Amino acid sequence: MADIILKAKSPLDGFSRDWPGITLREVTGRALVSVSIPHGGEAALGQKLSQVYGTIIPAVGESTASPVDNAHLLGLARDQFFILFDEGGQAPLAAVSAKLAEVAYLTDQSDSWAMLHISGPNSRAALARICLLDLHPDHFQTGQVARTVMEHLGVIILRDGADSFLLLSARSSAQSFLHAVTVSAENVT
Amino acid sequence: MIIHHPLLGPRDAAEFYVLGDAALIDRPDGQAEDAAERFYGYLYLRDNPAGEHRELWYHEQGDRSWLVVTRDTLTHEIKKVELARDVALQKGRGQ
Amino acid sequence: MTQVFRIEGGLINRAKPLSFQFNGRAMQGYEGDTLASALLANGQRLVGRSFKYHRPRGIFTAGSEEPNALVQLREGAFQEPNTRATVAELFDGLTARSQNHRGSLEFDLMAVNDLLSPFLTAGFYYKTFMWPKAFWETLYEPVIRAAAGLGRLSMEEDPDKYDKGFLHCDLLVIGAGPAGLSAALLAGRSGARVILADEDFRMGGRLNAETLAIGDQTGADWAASTVAELAAMANVSLMPRTTVYGAYDHGIYGALERRTDHLAHSNGKPRQVLWRIYSKRTVLCAGATERPIAFGNNDRPGVMLAGAVRAYVNRYGAAPGKRVAVFTNNDDGWRTAHDLAAKGIAVAAVIDVREKAGVTAPNGVESFLGCRVVDIKGRKGIKSVILSNGQAILTDCLAVSGGWNPNVHLTCHQRGKPVWREELNAFVPGRDLPVGMVVAGAAKGEMTLGAALKDGADQAAEVLTALGRSVPAGDRPTAEDEPSTGTAFWYVKESSKRAWLDLQNDVTVKDVKLSQQEGFRSVEHLKRYTTLGMATDQGKTANIPALAVMADCTGKTIPETGTTIFRPPYTPVPIGALGGRARGRNFRPTRLTTSHQWAQDQGAVFVEVGPWLRAQWYPKEGETHWRDSVDREVKGTRRSVGICDVTTLGKIDVQGRDAAEFLNRVYANGFAKLAVGRVRYGLMLREDGMVMDDGTTARLGECHYVMTTTTANAVNVFRHLEFCRQCLWPGMDVHIISATEQFAQYAVAGPNARNVLQKIVDPEFDLSNEGFPFMACGEVTVCGGTQARLFRISFSGELAYEVAVPARYGDAMIRALMQAGAEYDAVPYGTEALSVMRIEKGHPVGNELTGQTTARDLGMARMVSKKKDCIGNVLSERDGLNDEDGLALVGFKPVDRSRSLKAGAHFVAKGKPVTTENDEGWMSSVAYSPELGHAIGLGFIRRGAERHGEIVVAADLLRGELTEVEITSAHFIDPEGERLRG
Repeated sequence: MADIILKAKSPLDGFSRDWPGITLREVTGRALVSVSIPHGGEAALGQKLSQVYGTIIPAVGESTASPVDNAHLLGLARDQFFILFDEGGQAPLAAVSAKLAEVAYLTDQSDSWAMLHISGPNSRAALARICLLDLHPDHFQTGQVARTVMEHLGVIILRDGADSFLLLSARSSAQSFLHAVTVSAENVT
Repeated sequence: MIIHHPLLGPRDAAEFYVLGDAALIDRPDGQAEDAAERFYGYLYLRDNPAGEHRELWYHEQGDRSWLVVTRDTLTHEIKKVELARDVALQKGRGQ
Repeated sequence: MTQVFRIEGGLINRAKPLSFQFNGRAMQGYEGDTLASALLANGQRLVGRSFKYHRPRGIFTAGSEEPNALVQLREGAFQEPNTRATVAELFDGLTARSQNHRGSLEFDLMAVNDLLSPFLTAGFYYKTFMWPKAFWETLYEPVIRAAAGLGRLSMEEDPDKYDKGFLHCDLLVIGAGPAGLSAALLAGRSGARVILADEDFRMGGRLNAETLAIGDQTGADWAASTVAELAAMANVSLMPRTTVYGAYDHGIYGALERRTDHLAHSNGKPRQVLWRIYSKRTVLCAGATERPIAFGNNDRPGVMLAGAVRAYVNRYGAAPGKRVAVFTNNDDGWRTAHDLAAKGIAVAAVIDVREKAGVTAPNGVESFLGCRVVDIKGRKGIKSVILSNGQAILTDCLAVSGGWNPNVHLTCHQRGKPVWREELNAFVPGRDLPVGMVVAGAAKGEMTLGAALKDGADQAAEVLTALGRSVPAGDRPTAEDEPSTGTAFWYVKESSKRAWLDLQNDVTVKDVKLSQQEGFRSVEHLKRYTTLGMATDQGKTANIPALAVMADCTGKTIPETGTTIFRPPYTPVPIGALGGRARGRNFRPTRLTTSHQWAQDQGAVFVEVGPWLRAQWYPKEGETHWRDSVDREVKGTRRSVGICDVTTLGKIDVQGRDAAEFLNRVYANGFAKLAVGRVRYGLMLREDGMVMDDGTTARLGECHYVMTTTTANAVNVFRHLEFCRQCLWPGMDVHIISATEQFAQYAVAGPNARNVLQKIVDPEFDLSNEGFPFMACGEVTVCGGTQARLFRISFSGELAYEVAVPARYGDAMIRALMQAGAEYDAVPYGTEALSVMRIEKGHPVGNELTGQTTARDLGMARMVSKKKDCIGNVLSERDGLNDEDGLALVGFKPVDRSRSLKAGAHFVAKGKPVTTENDEGWMSSVAYSPELGHAIGLGFIRRGAERHGEIVVAADLLRGELTEVEITSAHFIDPEGERLRG
């Protein structure tokens, strides 16, 4: 039906709020595709990655970066990583598929996650109310990534700066997750 | 408890789901002559040691790997943690 | 009267006076006071009534071990019962009331219990309230409940907020007394990440209460300067007002931080935070607790532990009396006399049970060696004490010291048992400590200041070495060892009056003896029989003296008698703090589908399905009963077209070279030959042969499938698939990832489903029956180019499709579908209509798949492949699961069509009594079928498949209904499936 155009909605309607020492924003415009490494296909995928992204397969818990589509590769499991990149003209899956279809199994995850970015000197104190991981900078360094649980919800956390974290949690429970983070910010400021 | 994940380091047991005896890896051949007998043993006959026990733990809120955790059920001391996939491969499981 | 007992000095801020009220009386105190010290400064010695006998009680200690001075703090919904006045920090406007009396504190009507005490001995309840049985509920319990307890709940919702959190450190130092500060200082200087936690609001522990010196500083000054140095270190986190209450596995500790309890208002911030602390190593510096000596009437207001007297005098500048006597079995007691004398407070006498003491009394103070206190005169306050030599000494306060018990509690939380140290007459930590813990200072039995300081640093140094850190060089704090010898002396045998051991639960020496006489000799029995140590203070001052009495009675030693088990928490933790922020709707997360906002706008009624909220039905104006809405939705769908959000079904992306073989093994039915572009129903078994889940799986590409699971089982199935792929067949190239959240998925069902979808799906895709037949699937685009997946599957039995779009378009998609369906009077339908239609079609769901259901029970035995090895097929062939007399899923109709059916009813043959023996099965799902115009049901009954047409009775004994029902096929509508293939 030509007269109906589907309008996209972000999981948190572009949420944005500040507290003393804490900035919390929904991240939009970033695509996410999971990449599973075929058995015995690590070398081939590694080669391809270095060709098209100029980077390597991230170790579990680490991330690598590429200027191509401003991509971050998040190592989440021994045979799986996520590519987080800027949305362009193409659908997310098509964009990665064009580069890696032959050497990996891909699944679009762009709509599966709500993305929140928390930063500022009090952000670690706020996260300590819900995150059981040790986020001390000596222990969880910039570029490191982890998959864990906060307030019963699965979360992927990436440290992208000194006091700066990207948080990914499931889209359907995004409001509950946002509530968990805002209550934490409220409680520590 | 803290489980020292072979890939991720120390993680709180709260991130895991525990299944029980790691003997569940040793699934018998369903096409074997005496399959019924063997499956009965596999599924229903378990040791319940007061002491060292090999258990399957699943890192559900993590990297989704199944682990074989060797744990003392009396003291909760964890002596060894391995990836279940590696254990299964060592046991000759494949396809 | 204003602070007539206030004296010079102390660590209180006299520039900051505070007003407070006790039992409605206005009083003054200072910043730095506890409620207890302020009450003493104001001359308030009677502060409460005891639990059982309602005896007048005063302040007994100066710390968290307090058994007596429990008050009801604050007002209205904020009030908190059983708050220890000795740790309640004074703030301006504080209000407190005494507890456990009827009438005023001074004239408690319940004090009559004290006169009845000969009848209220240990085990009284067990002996008395046994008969007659009927009296329990009608008389005994109401009376006991009215009399029991200490404080009262407000019965209002707690308006305060609470929170939880997680902390990590290399070294956790528990307790900021001399050993703790010494340990933290060394560790802090090493650069290690240190957390120093102390229950007090002022760190320093006994240093703040004593007059001992460290180098050329007073102990309190040294503590303050050390705390200042630690506070300046970025790697050290100071946590005052924080009680580490439990030691758990692998270096995990529970701690309660009181963040706003010292303020008049919380200002919207959490009052308390419950922390889980992960430590690599822990130094326990929990100090020691002074114990009393039991003698006649030793519970009178004015009897106080000797160390507490020093704390009030030295730290708080509050005199517990005007003329104080000391009763001791060790050198420490004498120090109290000296500190009092130094403050100009009259010391009436020092009474030491020992024939010889290594210390001397202050000038002009009479001392009685080899002497004991046998009785106290004065009811609401001491007037005099009577000595074993018959002499009476006029005094208004008696400082008692029976020696000190190391605080071993946390060392025992992981099954550790303390060991007896003869020369200390006390238990010290045993060898089996929680993993990563070392103990330092008085908690370990290093009872003098010099030893505690040294031990703190030594233990920290050892721990730092173990952590691979270098131990900082430099001066360590030192002090002299004060005299600290003592003797084992527990209770005064010649006292004829009741001698009190557990002040909070009113347990006397006589009670312990009675317990022994009646055969309750093990400490665990003693505890339960007498209630010794079972009050909120857990017997911190009472247990060891009581053990000593029991040992004395049985002729055993104290270590042979043993202690009861120490369990967390060390001091009480409020339920509110344990709950944290998980209250009300924040108890657990909620999952919403992308059509939620739209459904809400339509006035949908929602139902919880696990964490999901799903639209249950969509009421229209004029509909007065849910059935009106549901019937309309079912009819509208079957007549034309209905639309339902099915997003919540689990979706798992399965990819890999071996994906086909993998599915073939996890499903009981064959999957090897499913063609690309086709969907198949899959039945998943557990290894024991029971049905685990069912759903459809679509083959999107050569190596790419998408599996659906039921909403409830999505997580379990995913875990199971990971188990299969990692543990059973690790060599297979198969990869799974959840795609549940990625897509918003809508079912479009009914004769006009195709017509509606043709307006949505872009025209280049052929939706004709030939081009896209039943059980077809494929990638399409919708609304001018949006990527989507289309499945021709049907749960309702109608011509139906499911269309999935990326979740960001979910909201737009439901609106688009409704707009496209408008010309066909499309209805949105909820889970209730969905359920009606699936019952009409005989599809099993959770009601049927109970975990005890086999494929055979469902009439799907033929689907379980015998040709392949798949999960569950071997054990599904067990004899017990293949009984000819076994259950089968069939349909039921009421013989009287006007009657309703009830799920949960059991079937019995007509004419047979409704008994367990005659039970033949049960009704699992029921609905009213608008299509048929009567109630229908699904259920399991023995040999059901052969019994179509038979009439049985559905007996619902809960609701008292017997209904004759006819056994039919489970497929009530379109049994041949013509509609869904049309």
